[in-house]
Amino acid sequence: MDFELTDEQQLIREAVREFAQVEVAPIAAELDRDHRFPYELLPKLAELNLMGMPFPEKEGGAGADYVSYVIAIEELSRACASTGIIVSAHTSLATWPVYRFGTEAQKERYLHGMASGRRLGAFALTEPAAGTDAGAGTTTAALHADGYALNGTKMFITNAPFADVYIVFAKTDPERGTRGMSAFIVEKDTPGFSVGEAEHKLGIRGSSTPPIYFADCRIPREALLGAEGDGFKIAMQTLDGGRIGVSAQALGIAQAALDASVAYAKERVQFGKPIATLQAIQWMIADMATAVDAARLLVYRAASCVDAGRPYSTEGAMAKLFASETATKVADRAIQIHGGYGYTESYPVERNYRDAKITELYEGTSEVQRMVISRSALR
Amino acid sequence: MRIVVAYKWTCDPEEATVSADGTVDWSRAKPGISTYDPVAIELARRLAEDAGAELIGVTAGAKGVGAPIAAKAALGRGLDRVVVIEDDSLTDVGRSELAAVLAETIRHIGDVDLVVTGDSSVDVAAKMVPTVLAGELGWPAVAEVTAVAGQAGKLRVERAIPGGMQVLEISGPAVLAASADAAVPRVPGMKELLAAAKKPVEHLDLADLNVPTRSAVMTVTRRSRPDRKARKGQLLDTGDPAAAAAELVTALRGAGVL
Repeated sequence: MDFELTDEQQLIREAVREFAQVEVAPIAAELDRDHRFPYELLPKLAELNLMGMPFPEKEGGAGADYVSYVIAIEELSRACASTGIIVSAHTSLATWPVYRFGTEAQKERYLHGMASGRRLGAFALTEPAAGTDAGAGTTTAALHADGYALNGTKMFITNAPFADVYIVFAKTDPERGTRGMSAFIVEKDTPGFSVGEAEHKLGIRGSSTPPIYFADCRIPREALLGAEGDGFKIAMQTLDGGRIGVSAQALGIAQAALDASVAYAKERVQFGKPIATLQAIQWMIADMATAVDAARLLVYRAASCVDAGRPYSTEGAMAKLFASETATKVADRAIQIHGGYGYTESYPVERNYRDAKITELYEGTSEVQRMVISRSALR
Repeated sequence: MRIVVAYKWTCDPEEATVSADGTVDWSRAKPGISTYDPVAIELARRLAEDAGAELIGVTAGAKGVGAPIAAKAALGRGLDRVVVIEDDSLTDVGRSELAAVLAETIRHIGDVDLVVTGDSSVDVAAKMVPTVLAGELGWPAVAEVTAVAGQAGKLRVERAIPGGMQVLEISGPAVLAASADAAVPRVPGMKELLAAAKKPVEHLDLADLNVPTRSAVMTVTRRSRPDRKARKGQLLDTGDPAAAAAELVTALRGAGVL
């Protein structure tokens, strides 16, 4: 067993870290404070091929492996969790299903633009009354002579309204439940498609997540992704990969909280010496470092399963469950180490704390991850 | 046109620890391209892009400089190929010896029109290699270079001088040391990093280079750290800024500083 990253993976980490420190970290607090989507970062991310890392070069991607991709999400999230999820949602949730399930014509129309970062993608599954129970969605896609008519509401749509391409799930046969769900590719300017007011969230405030609405939104037959009735399967397989992206985001948040804590513990003097010399602090740092390292091993293991062509549903669920709960715990301890200062916006750990919580919720709650893992363990 | 960038693969001193006797422990320091050398690569890369020149990296040093990751890190920053001399006899080698090795390597490459280096190495920071290298080659050396443009045989070079800047025209080959802020290095793109492994890397044997033997031998016989001056540990209450300022002035006068 080899725990060493390849040369390329190490260099990719250094390059993304350099980019994140220069371009992302300086604006992270402002994005959070002003609930501002970092639109100006998109061309910069695209220039470095960070918007389509795991896709082949001929499709517009970077041709990197999945481990490199999660390292990039980790490093971006370490600087700014909002930027991390913007890239992860675009790559794993929007571009990947086009790459995996798209026809040649759909790939030609969308994939190169998305994988190269010229067109931003979004994934629209969740509805007001269908979160964890994603199959209970009521958005419909009625077949007409010239295509489908979408009607319904989707919510918490990461990257809307900035996205150009939306992967939308709707019932083509509502009587058949999840088997009546289909996936569609919808372009942003399609008549009948509109975007609602931005949500005001606890964390990841630089990530835009408004509801989107479909009112007799007419799309051509060619917009169908996969076959009719394949939507739920496409959504679940897409989320299997998306969870690895979120686990990398959680890992980056946890590492940021640990880094801030180590730096603060060395400089903060109480009782005449740095608090890093106090055993109470040392033990917290030790537990945080151990948890972060364990999370990293699970995240990289899940990504290496993707690279090896092995099943990764359970591994991805384990990575997301552990990394997200680690992020929340480590950020909590980070505030404890910072004391009262940690509760203020003067230090980044309060943002880490608020950002961490979402990783336990989206792309499958921790309870859903436990369901996935237990099904595998009890099989 | 053929441009060489001489760069150093070394460890960052910020990751090293210094013991009481002045010896430096590098074991936990991660190696990488010396801090200012990406600036040199960027400056040379812009010139190479404008002039359609070949851009070649050259590095020499002890075990480690020949590692694949060292070449990939440099190639990922836009070099077309690199030439590496890895030899343990180059451990802690003097600047003049290193410059002589680089000069022979540049002669080996042949038809080189320009050599660009960083401002200084992050570990030694002597700022000597570019000048000695130019001397070895018999070429002019220009330090503190902030910009370069043109073609082989006619280069326009800007350099910082005390209180201003100077523009030079150079008609033959030269060695330029880029100032630390001459250019902002591009962050390597993912495709560039992944393509680096496919670019040529030439490993030269030091023994095959015709490096003249030096009669003078220089060795470090002692290191020491400057003595730490005892601090007075005097804290001023800044609740009343005016009173604190007056107290500070009194204290400084009392110490003979003012």
